[in-house]
Amino acid sequence: MNTLNNIPVQADNNKRTNPLATVFDEFIQFCQSRSLFMLHYCTGCGAIELPPAMTSRFDMERLGIQPMVTPRQADILLVTGYVSVKTLKRVILTYEQMQSPKYVIGICSCTVNGGMYWQSYATAKVLNEYLPVDVYIAGCMPRPEAVISGLRRLMANIEQGKGNAWQDYYQRYDYYLGNQQHLFGDDWQTPTDVIGEAKYYELEAEQTYGKHTDILAQHQQPLEAQTMQIKF
Amino acid sequence: MNSLTHSLTDLSTVLVDLLFMPLIAFFVGLLMVLMMRKLSARLQRRIGPPFFQPIYDIVKLYSKSTQVSHGLIHEIGIVVAVGGYIASEILLPVPGMDGIADKGGIITLSYFLMIPSLGMALGVGQCANPNGSIGISRALTAMLAYDIPFIIVVFGVATHYQSTSLIGMIDYQQAHQWGIFEMPLLAAAGLFALQGMMGKQPFEIYVAPAEIATGPMVEMSGKFMGGLFVMQSFQFYTAGVLYTSLFLGGGNNWPEFLLKIFLVVSIPMTMAFLFPRYRTEDMVRVMWKWPVMVALIGIAFVM
Repeated sequence: MNTLNNIPVQADNNKRTNPLATVFDEFIQFCQSRSLFMLHYCTGCGAIELPPAMTSRFDMERLGIQPMVTPRQADILLVTGYVSVKTLKRVILTYEQMQSPKYVIGICSCTVNGGMYWQSYATAKVLNEYLPVDVYIAGCMPRPEAVISGLRRLMANIEQGKGNAWQDYYQRYDYYLGNQQHLFGDDWQTPTDVIGEAKYYELEAEQTYGKHTDILAQHQQPLEAQTMQIKF
Repeated sequence: MNSLTHSLTDLSTVLVDLLFMPLIAFFVGLLMVLMMRKLSARLQRRIGPPFFQPIYDIVKLYSKSTQVSHGLIHEIGIVVAVGGYIASEILLPVPGMDGIADKGGIITLSYFLMIPSLGMALGVGQCANPNGSIGISRALTAMLAYDIPFIIVVFGVATHYQSTSLIGMIDYQQAHQWGIFEMPLLAAAGLFALQGMMGKQPFEIYVAPAEIATGPMVEMSGKFMGGLFVMQSFQFYTAGVLYTSLFLGGGNNWPEFLLKIFLVVSIPMTMAFLFPRYRTEDMVRVMWKWPVMVALIGIAFVM
């Protein structure tokens, strides 16, 4: 999919010069790497490896990782296993509701390249085309040791300031939206206004917009609050 | 002139107290959160989080890059929830610091302890998430359930000491005997109500992560969740100090005081992981039956 040449590399212009500010940033990055709330979206068989990773045998909490149940509170979206087209919609809705910095971990071979569902008409094969994935943990299924080692890799990335895949979703939204529209049809729309968020948080780049976002703008229904009513 | 200097010294003492009492409460509360997580880990034969985990969590939550706010009331609600506890801390005397505990007694305090739940209800109301609404309605019902025995206990204790001042109660207990020996029934009922007040199992139906996705907290992200984490540490501290002041004679010095409050808070925390949870109506039934009955018998002995 991506070769090294066509990954956009942008110079970071807002580097801080004040040494104290750098220390502060590093402290925050350290805290972010040591406290990860995990939303496990258990789509496939890989989910069965998570209970041992969380409970007494391998105990994720000693690394500061604990399960959370709503996307609003979570930092990590853990996609464990194959993602069917129908499930992928939910995964994307969930991902867009999470608050940045947010990280996606794809567990099992199915999220890497489709795995044993390669020939299936109903599965999304490469998760990376629809969401920016931080870490893949390959295996069918990866054992808890592998899961923990993948999480440790993510922690190291965050601590070094390299866990920035979530910015990619804003900066190359057109690419991700294009792939989503390819699967779900042109009238695909999520309740989260990604472009609006990108503008508000000043994360937009050239590739935020493109022909796919134009298609979205044509079909987009304005979001309205649902009326509260009780029906009998 | 002399009286002016005197009142100025008084004022500065109170100001220092007002600054340091919530700060101490916050840090002791963080330790209590750590203790809770360590206890649960040990009971489940895990290692548990590292020492600074509560701080990591709070710093991380406040440093989120994007924040979803559902409006002004959402933000104010969290401030009210944390502020209610900060206001309670300065009414709770600790060794060496009385704050304004002599101005407002235990009745003011029991009003203040309701403010956080109401603040949460305000904030959650604007999120318009059905899970949040269910959660907060359950939380307020739970408050109704544990507040009845709690108020009866407070009434009984105040009757026994013939005073509503926490400072007076602590002085009396240190001169004579601890409240837990003079009114054991009220102390037992108080411990029961404490379990509900801290929102520990079996009385944590309003959180119910697997069914209503943490209820009131469902829409809280980033700084809002951080505010709630801060609130939780205050909540544990308040519950521990209140029980210690009412029944365990406060503290002459900090080590003794800290030992007592950590011991008090560890009891509900330890029991919590042995129980599943009651449904809301069952919780009301249990709370209004057993602790209320025990507390009323306790009052009969005190009268």
